[in-house]
Amino acid sequence: MAAEEASFTIEADLSQVRELARFVRQEAGLNEAALADLELAVVEAANNIILHGYGGGGGLIRCHVQRGADAVRVTLSDSGAPIPEDMLRNAQPTSQMAESGRGLAIIRACVDEIAYTSAAGANRLTLVKAG
Amino acid sequence: MIIVDSRGDVAMVHVAVDRLDAAASPAFKQAVASQVDADTAKLVLDMRAVEFVDSTGLGAIVSLMKRLPPDGVLVIAAPRHPVRRLLQITGLDRLFRQFDTTEEALAAIGG
Repeated sequence: MAAEEASFTIEADLSQVRELARFVRQEAGLNEAALADLELAVVEAANNIILHGYGGGGGLIRCHVQRGADAVRVTLSDSGAPIPEDMLRNAQPTSQMAESGRGLAIIRACVDEIAYTSAAGANRLTLVKAG
Repeated sequence: MIIVDSRGDVAMVHVAVDRLDAAASPAFKQAVASQVDADTAKLVLDMRAVEFVDSTGLGAIVSLMKRLPPDGVLVIAAPRHPVRRLLQITGLDRLFRQFDTTEEALAAIGG
């Protein structure tokens, strides 16, 4: 059975992330609890791309949602600076009173699988959520 | 962005946005700075209107907590599922007690 797919592109601007979240909620077809986790992971990933990948300087983020029989795959593509490899692999512990630095740990907690590639200036982060 | 009312020595802060995210957090922090009295020690954060919070919004809530004196207390009233889930994932459910209603939150911190 062919997976259902849809794509959506936003400008790398924090005010646009809610539109990306709305798109993912609409296309993912998950139960509410799984959808809440996926939405949070996608928002954290998009925020990271905007603030760290593009350094607030702008660009595009393309979001591709692929709905399979057992899981949803959301791929975010951008052409900003890649995520440093060690950062993606190791959770950076944050103190309770820290005001930032929780994004990647949240992404890991919210999805079942993460894949990341960066080649020739193109980054692709894939988040897989079972459901 | 926020509406603040005082109940005895407790500041009740109603968050009046549906998403407390990275886009909304700077305005939230600014509103807190201008509307919450500097000598506030007990605070109920009413989250009933908030459908979504990300880590930046959570950081803004932590910054609100840091405004309080060392013996100050901040509790969260009426968090929806995504907010409870974020607090649980980050372990901040141990820092912020949560109550189903503002009345329960007020009763718990002595308003």
